[in-house]
Amino acid sequence: MFAGGPLQRLPAALKLSAALVIIVGTVLLPVDWIGCLAGEGLALMLAAVVSRIPFLILIRRLAMLLPFVFGVALAGMLNPGGGLDWRIIAAKSTLCLLTVILLSHTTPLGEVIRVLQRLRVPGLLVTTMALMHRYLFVLADEAGHMRRARASRTFTRGRRFAWSALATVLSRLFIRASERAERIYDAMCARGWK
Amino acid sequence: MNPLVAAAAGCCILADQEPRKPFMHIPDGFIDAKTALVTTTLAAAGVGVALRQVRRELPPRRVPLLGLAAAFLFVAQMVNFPVAGGTSGHLIGGALVAVLLGPSAAVVVLTAVLIVQCLLFADGGLLALGANIFNMGLVATVSGYAVFHVVRRWLPGLRGQVAAMAFAGWCSTVLAAIGCAGQLAWSGTVAWPVAFTAMTGIHLLIGVGEGAISALVLLAIARTRPDLVGVAGPMQTPLKIRAFVGYGLAVILGLGWFVAPFACSWPDGLESVAIRLGFARHAATPLLNALAPDYRIPGITSPVIATAVAAAVGVVVVFGLAVLLSRALVREPRETAGAPASPS
Amino acid sequence: MNPAVEVTSLGYCYPDGTEALCGVSFSLMPGACVGLLGPNGSGKSTLLRHLNGLLPEKPPADGNVRIHGEAITAENLPSIRRRVGLLFQNPDDQLFCPTVEEDVAFGPRQLGLSEAAVAARVQTVLVQVGLAGQDRRATHHLSQGEKRRACLAGVLACEASILALDEPTSDLDPRGRREFKALLRQIDATKVIATHDLELVVELCARSIVLDHGRVVADGATLELLGNEELMLAHGLERPHILQHVHPHHPHEAH
Repeated sequence: MFAGGPLQRLPAALKLSAALVIIVGTVLLPVDWIGCLAGEGLALMLAAVVSRIPFLILIRRLAMLLPFVFGVALAGMLNPGGGLDWRIIAAKSTLCLLTVILLSHTTPLGEVIRVLQRLRVPGLLVTTMALMHRYLFVLADEAGHMRRARASRTFTRGRRFAWSALATVLSRLFIRASERAERIYDAMCARGWK
Repeated sequence: MNPLVAAAAGCCILADQEPRKPFMHIPDGFIDAKTALVTTTLAAAGVGVALRQVRRELPPRRVPLLGLAAAFLFVAQMVNFPVAGGTSGHLIGGALVAVLLGPSAAVVVLTAVLIVQCLLFADGGLLALGANIFNMGLVATVSGYAVFHVVRRWLPGLRGQVAAMAFAGWCSTVLAAIGCAGQLAWSGTVAWPVAFTAMTGIHLLIGVGEGAISALVLLAIARTRPDLVGVAGPMQTPLKIRAFVGYGLAVILGLGWFVAPFACSWPDGLESVAIRLGFARHAATPLLNALAPDYRIPGITSPVIATAVAAAVGVVVVFGLAVLLSRALVREPRETAGAPASPS
Repeated sequence: MNPAVEVTSLGYCYPDGTEALCGVSFSLMPGACVGLLGPNGSGKSTLLRHLNGLLPEKPPADGNVRIHGEAITAENLPSIRRRVGLLFQNPDDQLFCPTVEEDVAFGPRQLGLSEAAVAARVQTVLVQVGLAGQDRRATHHLSQGEKRRACLAGVLACEASILALDEPTSDLDPRGRREFKALLRQIDATKVIATHDLELVVELCARSIVLDHGRVVADGATLELLGNEELMLAHGLERPHILQHVHPHHPHEAH
């Protein structure tokens, strides 16, 4: 995670609960208290600056909200009175997103998983998440290699080949993933896992 | 051009800008507290059932496979495939994973993926996690698995598997979209007719892509490593009815909860559709009376019949497409899943 | 003194029927370092997996493999696995935890040690393999050499006295190889090293066993075996150049 910043040093459980409280509060905020949203936004931006989150990342993630906001805005225009004011939704949604971004950048996933473990989230789910986190990048690299290898042997362009190349890469990725899973099972057993 | 179609196209184009986002992760702020509470409860129940099922059925050797499948799905969701006119769609993968690993394992896998996506990449809201898990982790996986096996009973062989997978992929996407629309509407964010039409409309198209990719991937796996298809769940054995009823209830309850209140308001929103299709008001009422003379639904008029017919036709068309796809991909009808061809 | 590892007429067939091992017998004294040589597919990895009970899938009642005099059975599997540390061919398969500290601590935690004891062991072992201070690093950020060392740390943390290494230097650059060899030299344990790296074998292993098609075709002093060009070529190997002249940086000691 990004080093430095006081927020990184706080315990993960605290940050997780704080994030939840902020999000619930934002969603439940009555329409008359809109001014609070501005204050909240300012506080969150300050926290983002203090935690040294790169601006570009912030902007990119906020852009992911756009399709939904756009959709709601349009729906509001087409069916006036049929839905909530899209500006309020956009504002609340942006603040909630900012909160989650802050959480994800100041709290390594490993710590979050440990918190979940302490909260008695079932072991199978926790193990799945931990293994997923560990092998995410390994599989992404493998997929990248396969794609490049496939691309260097493809001499025609066109959508049909793109689809068949994609299917080949995904199928081989799954097969490799399941073979790797067997070896990981052996490795876990070799060190005493039951 | 219908403004809603324009909205749908606009959203597709925008969605393409951030190549990593499937179009169904609801962010925070779009669903209200009561919807969040209900969906989280349903999701927790469904995932609880799935975990218990997996612990009972999954051999210990396969436990790491859940984690690796989750990593695989995450990577697969990052890839976008070209749809039409420069836009692209994304795989949800629920149906594919359900067919490969069994429904309970798939629920666990999708749940893990969604949680990590939310916490690591802020993809989908924290409060909306329950809704996202319900739509993509429960509805998509379970419906995909069910549809696959129902179709498999009619169509045998490798061709049958491919056709079933294609159709199941499409169905799972559409049903998940309906759930999503229902949640948005129940929160009061978007009026139901608009939510339903827009969400379902877009996903009718994206679902075709999902079905096609799922079918292609399943075919490739079945040809290289047929033993991996249905690896952690029963493929050849009959469905475990009891576990199935467990999920089925959660899914139906959830969908019903969100969709039912709006059933009566269909006529308003879809009036224009009915008029376009040229159904006269009066022509359909005798049909309704003939089918169910004493059944009265307040507010329902012919547009509902029109929509229902259109929906049925649409489903049959997609099913036909799925079968055609399977014929195009699998040359000999006698090719079975147990005969691996030379790997590509 | 009892042998640390004793294998008697070990045979094994894969599920599809192909024979992997046939009549393999050898024994190792504590502290010995043995090289396991052979062409690809000769059964080296399969043999190593028999040493810590990963194979056969169901341990037989009267096993062909004895560790410190004990036959491997279903009951003493945990204890065997603690004593015999297997290093897999691909370190990514073995480092299945997100951080170095978690991975090294995995073994001790499975053994049921207290958190304090686990932490102490982790620190000791990381210093031993030269990864001190790296405990918070993400495993996928490590270099190949560091990954191998982390794997070794994980196995040492269980206080293994027998190390079975499967191709430990296959993906290392020359410096990585030198450092890993130096590390192995320092560790006091019985070692079985399956490898194609003939230089490694000459430098570290006084004794070598050559496997081909699942059978032991030679077992003796490394220099004798590797110097026998006919034998080497007959079994998919070759006489290493190191035996022909003295390496300028690493003149090998007399064995």
